[in-house]
Amino acid sequence: MSIREKGYHKWDQELKSGGIAWLPMFFNGIKTAFKKKYAKAFFAFTISPFLIFLAGIYISTKPELKMFSEIVRLLKTDARFFAAFFTNGFTYFMLVLLCVFVFAEMISGDLQFNSFPLYFSRPLDRKDYVLGKLSVIMFYMLLFTLVPGILLLLFKFIFTGTFSVEPRVVLGIIVLPILISAFFSSITLMFSSLSANGKYVKIIIFVLFFLSNGISEMLKGIFRNTYFNLFSFPRNLEQMGAYIFNSRPAFSVPGWISLLIIAGLTVLSFLVIFKKIGKSEAQIEIGS
Amino acid sequence: MEKIIQLQDIFFSYGDFKAIDGISLDIGAGVYGLLGPNGAGKTTLLKVVLGFLTPSSGHGRVLGMGISSSRKAVRRKIGYMPENDCLIPGMDGVTLTAYLGELSGMPRQEAIKRAHEVLYYVGLEEERYRKVDTYSAGMKQRLKLAQALVHDPQLLLLDEPTSGMDPKGRKEMLDLIKDIAGKGSMNVIICSHLLPDIENTCRRVIILDKGRIAASHDIEGVSEDRFNRFNLKLKGETGAFLEKLESLKCEIDVTDRGLYKIKLPAQESSRKLFEIALASKVQIRHFQQSRTTLEDTFVTAIGVNHEH
Repeated sequence: MSIREKGYHKWDQELKSGGIAWLPMFFNGIKTAFKKKYAKAFFAFTISPFLIFLAGIYISTKPELKMFSEIVRLLKTDARFFAAFFTNGFTYFMLVLLCVFVFAEMISGDLQFNSFPLYFSRPLDRKDYVLGKLSVIMFYMLLFTLVPGILLLLFKFIFTGTFSVEPRVVLGIIVLPILISAFFSSITLMFSSLSANGKYVKIIIFVLFFLSNGISEMLKGIFRNTYFNLFSFPRNLEQMGAYIFNSRPAFSVPGWISLLIIAGLTVLSFLVIFKKIGKSEAQIEIGS
Repeated sequence: MEKIIQLQDIFFSYGDFKAIDGISLDIGAGVYGLLGPNGAGKTTLLKVVLGFLTPSSGHGRVLGMGISSSRKAVRRKIGYMPENDCLIPGMDGVTLTAYLGELSGMPRQEAIKRAHEVLYYVGLEEERYRKVDTYSAGMKQRLKLAQALVHDPQLLLLDEPTSGMDPKGRKEMLDLIKDIAGKGSMNVIICSHLLPDIENTCRRVIILDKGRIAASHDIEGVSEDRFNRFNLKLKGETGAFLEKLESLKCEIDVTDRGLYKIKLPAQESSRKLFEIALASKVQIRHFQQSRTTLEDTFVTAIGVNHEH
């Protein structure tokens, strides 16, 4: 006999009252992102710099492969090597593509399909909702930055047979990917919260990330001033990486300025997200 | 009587518009209906109860917990079926229901098992693996009920539960609500502007108008009342007849078509109308016991000139 024929059936167990309220959003988001169209291909391409840098470490430890020494000159110092790994142009390009094609609709989809009443009638508040969404993007961003960074360090130990590494490099391997991931995640979520139309969000994110570099180059060309590098997201990330790893700066402007710009944009994005979600909630209430 | 919801002097405004204008009410166990024309403040009141909206003044308790101080705890024990279409894109019925069960605090495996059960219960057994984006309006209503039931809440808030459903679906939805409420373990508040929905499912009705409580009645009381209402068509000089009825404290309404709607005091019988007509030399050409329903109570409460 079906439940329906039997009538309403009670669930006689206890609901969990403690713990992390947004954890189901995290697990569900990871699965959903993985199932997205082309996501697996993007993930595979994003991981490719890791393989190249891994080959670099291997070559540098083998004297018989001296002919490749010019290619792996970056490996002269750990700081330069890891700064280059985290801020290279290809990784930046792939992270932008991930933001555009996999994560851009994280909030805009909820806006489009009016999901907020479903979320907020649960024991979740705005903070839980944002953390739930953020945790998904952060997971993937760290998966393609922090995890390969740590793996590269481990492989370096294996290939060289020594455990010698500067503490600042270890700190950089942890801090820089976290800052880069927080930056990409917050910017993506912010734009996602601005419109219910996923296509617009994708276009805005794509244009912004690539236009910043173009504008910077144009202004630099006109005014011949190196400070215009600060208009470029990738150049700022590069400079921030150099600053954190204490390696050669990407351009002649103090590295802490880039760090402040990236951190400032991240904080600003979070403020906009919270404001936008609060506003969207209010509009839904009035509308219904 | 156990108090499920206690509200005291609740005020809430959208800008200059007073959506809730000093509502105080106690709602006990069972099935209650919130009835009112559009803009009466029904949905806003539900959202205040859920903690979606913070009242500008006043305080309230739901299931013994403060609506402002214990929002998360309140929401854990409430199931909410919103009025508007809402879904999480890209999910099938089971995944969505289980996901929302998990967000309410259910263990994952239990949430999945329970999602199957409630989807079966609401009649979505065949469509539970279909993407919710492809559901029809009626299916979305059922899905909204299923997600509200998945964590077996103590209080179920249903906002226009039959909205957009065909007559068969509507009847099934009302049957489901009656079944849920009939078990006695779940308290239900139905917010609707459809009087038959309230009349068919609720024990008590609270009528809202312009953000205030216009009336509150037991549905049974309203039904009993109808036996003392009559529709009459008269011929002759009616002045004396009506004067005598007024002296008996009868309520009299005259329609444009000359139909006299008369409500007799409880102690009087219909025979009295014929006696007065005879004494006043008035012919009663049409006599019908009024089919008064909740609608009469509703119209009386919010005023006959109110647009709804």
